[in-house]
Amino acid sequence: MNEWVGLGILLFPLLGAAITGLCSLPPKAAHRIAISGIGLSFLLSLYGAYLIFFSSVNSIDFSFYLWRLTDAVHFSIGMLLDPLASIMIVVVNFVSLIVHIYSIAYMRDDPGYQRFFSYISLFTFAMLTLVSADNFLQLFFAWEAVGLVSYLLIGFWFKRPTANAASLKAFLVNRVGDFGFILGLGLIWRYCGSLDFNNVFNSVPVLVHQIISILPGTHWSVITVICLCLFIGAMGKSAQIPLHVWLPESMEGPTPISALIHAATMVTAGIYLITRLAPFFTYSPVALNVILIIGASTALFMGLLALVQTDIKRVIAYSTLSQLGYMMAACGCCAFSAAIFHLITHAFFKALLFLAAGSVILALHHEQDIRKMSRLRGSSLPITYVGFLIGTLALIALPPFSGFYSKDAIIEAVASSHLAASGYAYFCLLAGVVITVCYSLRVFFLVFHSKRTEPASIATESTVIKIALIALSIPAVIVGIILSHAHGFLNPSVFVQPIGYSTADQLSTLRMHAVVWPQVQIFSVPLCLLLAGVFITWCCYIKFPDLLDRLTNRFSTLYRILRANYGFDAFNDRVFVRGGIQLAKLFFKVDALILDEKFVNGSGRLISWFSRIFRTIQSGLLYQYTLVMILGLVLMMLAVVIVQWHLVWPRFLTEPGPVFLSA
Amino acid sequence: MFAGTLIASATMTIMSRDPVRSALFLVLSFFAAAALWILLTAEFLGLVLILVYVGAVMTLFLFVIMTSHRVDLTIKPSFSRYWPYALAIVLLFMLLALSVLSSYRTPSQLIRANVDNTAALGSILYTHYVYPFEIMGLLLLVGIIAAISLNPRVIRDRKQQDPSQQICVKPSDRIRLIKMKPSIRS
Amino acid sequence: MIALNDYLIVSAVLFSLGLLGLMIHRRSIIHLLMSIELLLLAVNTNFIAFSYYFHSIAGQVFVFFILGVAAVEAAIGLAILLVLFRAKHDVDVDSLTSLKG
Repeated sequence: MNEWVGLGILLFPLLGAAITGLCSLPPKAAHRIAISGIGLSFLLSLYGAYLIFFSSVNSIDFSFYLWRLTDAVHFSIGMLLDPLASIMIVVVNFVSLIVHIYSIAYMRDDPGYQRFFSYISLFTFAMLTLVSADNFLQLFFAWEAVGLVSYLLIGFWFKRPTANAASLKAFLVNRVGDFGFILGLGLIWRYCGSLDFNNVFNSVPVLVHQIISILPGTHWSVITVICLCLFIGAMGKSAQIPLHVWLPESMEGPTPISALIHAATMVTAGIYLITRLAPFFTYSPVALNVILIIGASTALFMGLLALVQTDIKRVIAYSTLSQLGYMMAACGCCAFSAAIFHLITHAFFKALLFLAAGSVILALHHEQDIRKMSRLRGSSLPITYVGFLIGTLALIALPPFSGFYSKDAIIEAVASSHLAASGYAYFCLLAGVVITVCYSLRVFFLVFHSKRTEPASIATESTVIKIALIALSIPAVIVGIILSHAHGFLNPSVFVQPIGYSTADQLSTLRMHAVVWPQVQIFSVPLCLLLAGVFITWCCYIKFPDLLDRLTNRFSTLYRILRANYGFDAFNDRVFVRGGIQLAKLFFKVDALILDEKFVNGSGRLISWFSRIFRTIQSGLLYQYTLVMILGLVLMMLAVVIVQWHLVWPRFLTEPGPVFLSA
Repeated sequence: MFAGTLIASATMTIMSRDPVRSALFLVLSFFAAAALWILLTAEFLGLVLILVYVGAVMTLFLFVIMTSHRVDLTIKPSFSRYWPYALAIVLLFMLLALSVLSSYRTPSQLIRANVDNTAALGSILYTHYVYPFEIMGLLLLVGIIAAISLNPRVIRDRKQQDPSQQICVKPSDRIRLIKMKPSIRS
Repeated sequence: MIALNDYLIVSAVLFSLGLLGLMIHRRSIIHLLMSIELLLLAVNTNFIAFSYYFHSIAGQVFVFFILGVAAVEAAIGLAILLVLFRAKHDVDVDSLTSLKG
């Protein structure tokens, strides 16, 4: 019975995707089918969550197909719904449902309306499969599927060359991450003998002291290598430095998919992966340090980039990158529950921000440059204004909004961690708090409070958009409070071994109690930084607008570096793109000039040259033929005589010579 | 003596420019060779040589020479440019052959002439070598057919009947009978 | 007495004369044909000599056959000559280059 719940969760979106993708339907029928598919899946996922959290069912674990290659090698296709998977499924389904509803209005006049719904339902199916997989192979399959649908969706408006380039970039960078993923998968297969989660995690204590030498002479712990390889995969998917370059470009796609994929779900797949592999990561301090450093750096530097963007969607994209850095940092100090907590809250408020931004874009007739947006406050977009405000406040982690609880949990965890890189990470995260406040309030002020004249025409919000925004605002506000009461809500699923530097997890669960919090918060460092940031931004944008111009001129070099995205794109272009083209040209030269010219054509020419020589022998003249024949005969006789000379010679000596006949 | 004649006339055969003259010298060579063969008690073959070879083949030669003889033929022919080289090669050949053959000494004794040569030939030809004998006949037949078919006697403009086609003619190829209604006008 | 090798020498000289004739007569086929007859004659003489000196009748049988073959070949050669002559009115060997490769 429970298996059907699981299967239903997966299959209803797939069915919706298939029907809207393959049949030609009127638009109303298309969105109704897709939404009903997702809606059914959502209800089932709520039921599943109820089962797991509130009744005695610990997890729903089954496999419904066993793929046997040989007797020793077999892979299963199945589902594992434990608390971690279950809560992620609820979040994914909810956000997907809201996005589906939102898309009714956003994509109303688009010729690819039906295709869009099919794609986002397909994406939901893939993401659900990823989260509910019970073995690595299925997870990898869903990983690739999510990347594929992301490619399809980013390049949704495929007639735009920028969209095509962006989707290709996303896919290729993902691929680079997948390379690490496959290596890690191979290592797991080799050392654990199977790819099922149960088997793998049970064999972790055995692997602890095994050593692998990649280059001759170096000794690496197997677990560290596996963790690093899989982290590379997570880097590609969750857009950490240096594989982050695809996320800002992916804003070429329609806003609903930015909300769905690049804020709430796909980019969190990497975080999910690392959380799933908690048993591996807790044994490898090297990998944890790496994750911590990369995550914290991403959090800070991407936040800095968000300060200088002019496209409203790009600001939110860089904000996503920064928050992903936060989640990674949490994983890095073994505070997996805090990471997932932040993932959940981030899903809601980031999706809310994206959808509100989409509403603004739609209202201003597809204008996305914030410098051109002006006073929209109090105009005909009230719900959008409120939604954007709520999202922003949640993002900057103002209490009692949800972002506060999760982000502070992360910062506390990093503060109390004993890892080597935690000092650097702590500094980065704190700085990130200020930066976050600055860029989000910058956008908010520029879009809604800038002192320019009102634009000529503003479209009003449609009902659907209003519903979607309201539906997302509610969790953005209250999820934090709710979940902070549920301490230890992820414990049964995240197999964390307490080995000293994982105390943060217990710490987070202890501290996440709302009663204790409000009394502490006035003096907590992040909150102070937050208030300072609010003040700074208010000064810059509201009080003294020309202060900003003077600052830009003073720090113009820094400004230019930030505008150029630290040179990542330029580097990628020079080295990989142009290098690839040069390599291709080299191969073309080798192939065309050397292989084709010398070998293929050359052998033909060699043969014709030979035949030209031989042709001169065949003159067709009879006398020449006879001459040659007789000559050959004579030569042959000569050869025989020479060879047999030792037989012939004595006769010359003994005989008196030829005797001529007499008549 | 006969051998000397043979060699001399053979030399003249190849040296003379006029084909008629060289044919006649060839005839002389054949006569000398036949004499040699008779000396070697191969009388039948010697006589056959004269009868068949000289009588038939050389006659044919002379006939063809006469037929294809052009008036200006005597002006044109000359030896090949390469005749020194050819001479050199042939002298080499001769040297080789002679040096090898010069020591071939066997006891020379007269053959036992109990049986007549012709009878001896005949007795062996029709018993042991009957198969090649028949094939020889076939070869001659093929030669005849080839020689005839190489020179067809078709004169294009003559109206001549082809017998093989005449046999295949049907009445309907030659005549067509039509039934007609009488049309009488009064 | 006349020894075998004398006959063989005669035969060898005759053969080389035939070869010489074959090589130096470029122009006329008739001379070629006559040189070929000389070659065959030399070979026949060789056979007869061997047959006499080894007391074997097989040599003469062979001569018999060679004689026949030579006759046929001469006849056909002449027939071809006639055809060529009729086609070209010329007995020039150099013009027969249609087998040129």
